[in-house]
Amino acid sequence: MDTINVLIIEDTPSESDALVKVLKAHHYSILGVATNFKDALELFYSTKPDIVIVDIFLNGSPDGIYFAETINIVPNAVKPFVFLTSSTDRQIFERAKLTQPFSYLLKPFNELEILYAMEMAIEKFYAQTDVFLGDEEDTVISDDYLFIKKGKALKKVNLDEIIYIEVEEKYCNIITEKEKFVILISLTKMLKLLDEQMFCRTHRNYIVNTEKIQEIIPADNLIILSGNHKVTLSDTYKNIIKKVRTLK
Amino acid sequence: MRVKTSFLALAFFFMIPAILYAQQHTETTYFDDQIKKMSDPYKDEFAFAKAQSFFLQKEWDSTLVYTTQQLSTPSNTKELEDFCHFFRGYSFKQKKIFKEAKEEFSVISKDFSFYKHTQLNLGTIALEQNEYKKALDYFKKIENYSPSELQGIEKNNIEENIGLCYMYLGEFDQAETYLKKTIQFQEQKKDTISLIGTYGNIANLYYEQYKDELAIPFFQKAYDLSKKVKDVELKTTTALNMAVVEENRKKYPLSLTYRKEYEQWKDSLNDQNKIYEVAQLEKQFAVKQKQKEVSLLQAENEIKVAERNGLLYSSIVLLILLGTGIYFYKEKIKSNKIIVAQKETLDELNATKDKLFSIVSHDLRSSVHALKTSHTTLIDTVAAKDLKKIDTVLHTNSAIVNGAYNLLDNLLNWALLQTKQSYFEIAEMRLYFIVEQVAHNYQALMLEKQIYFENKVSKSDKVFADQESIKIILRNLIDNAIKFSNTDGKIKIYTQHKDLSYCDLIVEDTGMGMKDSTRVELLKDSVLLSKKENEDIIGTGLGMQLCKSMIKKNHGKFSIESELGKGTKMIVSLSKTSPNGYN
Repeated sequence: MDTINVLIIEDTPSESDALVKVLKAHHYSILGVATNFKDALELFYSTKPDIVIVDIFLNGSPDGIYFAETINIVPNAVKPFVFLTSSTDRQIFERAKLTQPFSYLLKPFNELEILYAMEMAIEKFYAQTDVFLGDEEDTVISDDYLFIKKGKALKKVNLDEIIYIEVEEKYCNIITEKEKFVILISLTKMLKLLDEQMFCRTHRNYIVNTEKIQEIIPADNLIILSGNHKVTLSDTYKNIIKKVRTLK
Repeated sequence: MRVKTSFLALAFFFMIPAILYAQQHTETTYFDDQIKKMSDPYKDEFAFAKAQSFFLQKEWDSTLVYTTQQLSTPSNTKELEDFCHFFRGYSFKQKKIFKEAKEEFSVISKDFSFYKHTQLNLGTIALEQNEYKKALDYFKKIENYSPSELQGIEKNNIEENIGLCYMYLGEFDQAETYLKKTIQFQEQKKDTISLIGTYGNIANLYYEQYKDELAIPFFQKAYDLSKKVKDVELKTTTALNMAVVEENRKKYPLSLTYRKEYEQWKDSLNDQNKIYEVAQLEKQFAVKQKQKEVSLLQAENEIKVAERNGLLYSSIVLLILLGTGIYFYKEKIKSNKIIVAQKETLDELNATKDKLFSIVSHDLRSSVHALKTSHTTLIDTVAAKDLKKIDTVLHTNSAIVNGAYNLLDNLLNWALLQTKQSYFEIAEMRLYFIVEQVAHNYQALMLEKQIYFENKVSKSDKVFADQESIKIILRNLIDNAIKFSNTDGKIKIYTQHKDLSYCDLIVEDTGMGMKDSTRVELLKDSVLLSKKENEDIIGTGLGMQLCKSMIKKNHGKFSIESELGKGTKMIVSLSKTSPNGYN
């Protein structure tokens, strides 16, 4: 599992320092702290963060909203972000609200509030609300990552690294090259959100990353994956063979 | 010859009134009775009854109208129709519309009871229109009936008419016979006026035949008789006749006398006419005078009406003005009352605000003052390097600052709420996390006071509210709970679902509790706790006030359950459904 990369846009050093301290304590990676609009854009495009924390007022003007509006123009480049502000000025909020998805935090805040705000931002951004807050699930699936809640903080797993997923009731075992862990998500939701080309079901309880298939032995109903993992291939899902690229 | 023509013309005019006269006088009463008797069976017919009565009253026009009506009704018997036609013919004849009269009479059937009258009338019409032959035919037909059969027609009348017809047809012998019969009859009856006419006619008859010696005595007789009557026209005619006759006999002096007499009568006739004319003029004048008076009165009336109308309109206008005046006056009084009420509320609010101000500044001043003295002690302690004491002092300071910060935060939120500048968005949220986040700030404080805190809110409890205002409410409630709790106390936050649409969030402490009067006071609107019962721990009341306002804004309810010495339950009921109707 990897840490979440955070970009902070905040012009007051004491506040950004406190923020960095809190986030680091919960194992978030800080990609950088931008203090103005220009630096913010530069850092945003060069470091590819997973989430951005934006102070609305930079040096007295609402540049934070400009920043959000600017990154919103390029749809694919957008990342989840959280607004920080010390005032609940209605006009500013009405404007900030237009930069969907909208998550905000009022200063001063404690560590629980910022962690909560970040989770909310990710949920809203990937349109999978009530994941981190409820008891039933703990994972948000994006195109590239699984965002998993571990304790108070979030972690991520690159989808490319997953070899296969084994379903056990409402839990899923994720097996990567490096490790093996359990997440809380339903199989149906998983199948719906994962890329069909990449992840295929081979058995009632197995989802396999097709990139990781090394050998299919239909006679034994067996698939051998990289790292010598063995997975059952049931008859119902045998047409997976057509999908797998074979050497000619 | 020339003279004779003029004479003839005279005699001609003379005759016709005689006929009409005879008819009117001799026939009427008997004839009317007969008509009444014969037509009474048809009295049921409304139009006919009307026509009959008008006929008897000699109202010819009305008779015509009602007979037309009667004829237009479909179910008429033959006799009824005959009656109608008879009435019509008679009326037309009286109005001298002979052509119509003739037509009406000619459609009457032979069986009709007044057929003889019809014949007589047709005869007279023919006579009037100089169709002597025809007239003679009509008269001859009814000549030989006995008087009882003639239904009131004077036989001698018929005979006279026959005589006249013969005379005009030049059959003088026949004419003489009939006219003589008439004279005999009239002499018997002593009907002077008719007699004069008939004498004139017979004299005329003889004169035509140049039987002057026979004619003259009749002229003379007519003249003599005319002296006995008052009819000026008859006198004039007879005198003129005598004059012409004497002139023709070359007895000029006598003729002159007659002529003079004639002139005299004619003059008197003219005089009469003149008198009549004068009378007419006078009448016209009088009428004009009256007219003037009438118009004067009318004008006066008009003026009066105009005056009255003017008075009416002006009074109406005045009334309206008065009404609007009263209305506006009342409105003014009303608005004044409202203004006064508003002023009172404003004054009250202002007083409250002033009080709040003084309390807040007092609190802040004492906080800062405490800090100041504490810092002086701190400097001394640092000099003494008493680390343990420094730690205690710093903790006290931190507590003081914390209290002051909370007060300022409430003050800011209060101001924002009053000016409605704050961002406010009701959205779905999970209470558990909010409670966690807010309680996080008080962990140090509770640890210090050794208070056991428990968040028993379920993760699945969701309410519709504005996140920031819920945080403010919770902050104040937890702050209060800590403030009023003793060491080793317990604070528990949990939810209850008594109502389907509300979720009750309860902050329960095991602190000192409160009196019921205090509880009621706290729940009242816009009352700030002015009297400080406990200098150390009872604050401004601003926090509670803020909580109540915020809960109200979130469409929630607020209640307190408390027992003195045992603890307090602060209950905030929040809506589980969206106020806008969506989920």
